[in-house]
Amino acid sequence: MNIAVCVKQVPDTETRIKLTDDHKAVNEDDINFILNPYDEFAVEEALQLKEKNDGEVTIISLGPDRVTSAIRSALAMGADKAIHIKAEQHPADPAVTAEALAAVLKEGNYDLILLGKQAIDDDHTQMASLLAEELDLPAVTVVIKLDIEGDKITAEREIDGAHEVVECSLPAIIAAQRGLNEPRYASLKGIMRAKKIQIEAKEMSLADGQLEIVEFNYPPQKSAGKIVGDSADAVPELLRLLHEEAKVI
Amino acid sequence: MSKNVKPSFSKALFSGVLLDELVFPYPEMDKEEKENFELMRESFKKFAQDKIDSEKIDKEAQIPQEIIDEMKELGLFGMIIPEEYDGFGFSTTAYVKMLEAVTEQDPSVALTLGAHQSIGLKALLMFGTEEQKKKYLPKLATGEMIAAYCLTEPGAGSDAAGIKTRAVRDEKKGVYVLNGSKIWITNGGIADFFTVFAKEPIADTKGDEHDKISAFIVTRDMPGVSSGKEEDKLGIKGSSTTEVFFDNVEVPFENLLGQRGKGFKVAMEVLNSGRLGLAGGTLGGIRKVLKDAMDHITQREQFRKKLAEFELIKKKVSQIAVDMFAAESMIYLTTAMIDRGDVDYSLESAMCKIKATEVGWESINECLQMVGGLGYMNEYPFQRALRDVRINPIFEGTNEILRLFIALAGMQERGEYLKKIGGALKDPIKGFGLLTDYATEWVVNRVTTERIRDVHPSLTKAKADFENWAKNLHFAAERVLIHYGKNIIYREMVSERLANAAIDLYGMIATISRVDTLIKKKGEEKCQREIQLCNAFAEQAWRRIRRNLLMTDKNIDKDLKEIAEFMTEEKQYPFETE
Ligand SMILES: Cc1cc2nc3c(=O)[nH]c(=O)nc-3n(C[C@H](O)[C@H](O)[C@H](O)COP(=O)(O)OP(=O)(O)OC[C@H]3O[C@@H](n4cnc5c(N)ncnc54)[C@H](O)[C@@H]3O)c2cc1C
Repeated sequence: MNIAVCVKQVPDTETRIKLTDDHKAVNEDDINFILNPYDEFAVEEALQLKEKNDGEVTIISLGPDRVTSAIRSALAMGADKAIHIKAEQHPADPAVTAEALAAVLKEGNYDLILLGKQAIDDDHTQMASLLAEELDLPAVTVVIKLDIEGDKITAEREIDGAHEVVECSLPAIIAAQRGLNEPRYASLKGIMRAKKIQIEAKEMSLADGQLEIVEFNYPPQKSAGKIVGDSADAVPELLRLLHEEAKVI
Repeated sequence: MSKNVKPSFSKALFSGVLLDELVFPYPEMDKEEKENFELMRESFKKFAQDKIDSEKIDKEAQIPQEIIDEMKELGLFGMIIPEEYDGFGFSTTAYVKMLEAVTEQDPSVALTLGAHQSIGLKALLMFGTEEQKKKYLPKLATGEMIAAYCLTEPGAGSDAAGIKTRAVRDEKKGVYVLNGSKIWITNGGIADFFTVFAKEPIADTKGDEHDKISAFIVTRDMPGVSSGKEEDKLGIKGSSTTEVFFDNVEVPFENLLGQRGKGFKVAMEVLNSGRLGLAGGTLGGIRKVLKDAMDHITQREQFRKKLAEFELIKKKVSQIAVDMFAAESMIYLTTAMIDRGDVDYSLESAMCKIKATEVGWESINECLQMVGGLGYMNEYPFQRALRDVRINPIFEGTNEILRLFIALAGMQERGEYLKKIGGALKDPIKGFGLLTDYATEWVVNRVTTERIRDVHPSLTKAKADFENWAKNLHFAAERVLIHYGKNIIYREMVSERLANAAIDLYGMIATISRVDTLIKKKGEEKCQREIQLCNAFAEQAWRRIRRNLLMTDKNIDKDLKEIAEFMTEEKQYPFETE
């Protein structure tokens, strides 16, 4: 099975985000970048499928030079090949990224395209759908279980309060959700092996896109915690506050 | 100059020579290795956050077997073993940085890996024959075999030369017969590969026999090897510490490590390089606790202010930063010295161990203080961190012994030059079990230098202070030698002060070099914080140095010794108010 996994490099979740002075971008100076956590599920799934059915796993990532370290992480987990689509930065408009990825994906004749359900930096959650459009393939998003028999895919999706099971056939696009699997940890052996793999660099002129980032702003300061009471009597008040003030339920 | 004579920055320092080419520019990790290391650090961090439960490890006093097994899979037992023996060939720098990252997650886990690689298998790596390496290193790299270092005995701790374990040659069988026991051996309960030091009678040129130490490879499968019960310890409870017994163990001749009778040198050189792992690890331990403490002081309010806003809390936080910055600068300057292979790093490695382990204890103690009563509760991790870090000033050479070593080895060079007492100093240094190659020839050919190369203008004050106090250390050492002569070996309080001054000087030069090199790379604008840290350390350091050096002449040592002797007679505190 010939599998492609599209991955993105994102800031570590523990990073304290600082903005540039003009608030147009994130200041990258002290940021630790990682492989997008949802993409790790995608890579793991690809590797498991490869181990079961034979085949090859290709990692594809678009972005500036620094993204090669995210590509290396995926290779270190066990992927076989990688393509780096060079770009000065990640485009503001996901459609631009999708167009470039699609162009590369078309060349590869992949049976299956995996990716994370979203990137944890810009949270657009659009890539699977955009690729589906570009490539005219079915896309299944928020997948927590995947079975492939011959050409037939059975995928379980997480939806509000339930699981939905859908079927489609290969080739297809699958967007991974947490729970799909337990990603393996890169071993030193894998890292050394990955070092020997040449990452194919692709120069490509990107479209302009229709979105523009006007401004970034810091989220409002979190207000201090509140103790409502220490017995069961406090539960109704707690529920009321969570509902009306915090607006989380 | 003979080829095993290697220059030592700190020995030269005592002699008034500033070998600044050994410390400038500040070393950088090889780019490819850095990438490998960062990927591994990231991977380990994920693994640890998912799987390692430090509270449970502490409570159950054991690292779960699955964790050990998975770490073997990750390759963590083979980091420093060269690739030709199926390891991953990390440099000392990358290895120590990895131990730092592992300690940040769990000190017991880090110690298990550290005892395996920093000391357990190090003698094989440094002194083993090709056959020995081929036979054992691949298994040690995968963790199929775990290693332990067996030196300490009930009667021989700091005075390691006093070991009693015996090795007797049986020429017919072609084996050494080993008898004795070792205590407090890290990995003692889980190891399969033991580097064991034992005494054997060896004839000198006249045919008289003397007991000399030799080093041996002993494996678990040899009949007569056994380990005692797990010790119940204050901290690092998850790491295995046991007695190891050797009862008529037959060790084939081919398992001799290094030359016959040269085992003591083997033991010491292993520790010289192994100490850096401990030093680096300690930094990781602080990192973790500091994060927890920072979370607390930025949330908790008293007197309607966050704790972090109070000046006395700021003082603690900044002191931790200054001390960590200095210790870190010293450590990774020294690991690079080890990696380049042509420098004598024995004093620097002792300095790093002392500095880091003391900064570790103080910083974690201050973190606990910052969070107040909560820090004392077993529910929170602060107390565990304090317990875990407490061992560090004790093992791999106590900080007292290492200070004496630094001072005496530093002065010895000058002593040789003064042609009076150099030889006399050799004995106690040997007795401390810390052999070193002499670099006298190296220094004699150099004129006393009082200046180091120019540095960035923002660091000139620190540089001038370094030069000034380096000169003063040299003068003080000279005065001490002339004043006490051979008797300096009994003046431990004086030696300690010289050692303290030397440690601070090494800290100064390491931070100056690091920041100067960083400014060259990034520009002054982007290094403001580092400049501040470097200058803050230098200001604190030279004041400590001044105090230490003044007190080599003027002190109350005599009174203190008399008080101690009185107390020793009384064996208690005999005073009470009327
Ligand atoms: C948890 C743990 C793990 C260990 N792991 C290992 C291991 O894997 N392998 C191994 O071989 N050993 C190991 N050790 C032993 C350790 O290295 C020794 O404990 C250490 O060397 C000190 O020896 P000692 O405990 O006998 O103390 P002592 O030598 O009795 O010293 C007691 C005190 O006296 C001081 N002192 C001694 N001599 C002098 C002097 N001349 N001048 C001034 N002060 C002096 C010391 O600094 C110390 O403060 C371990 C110990 C512990 C606690």
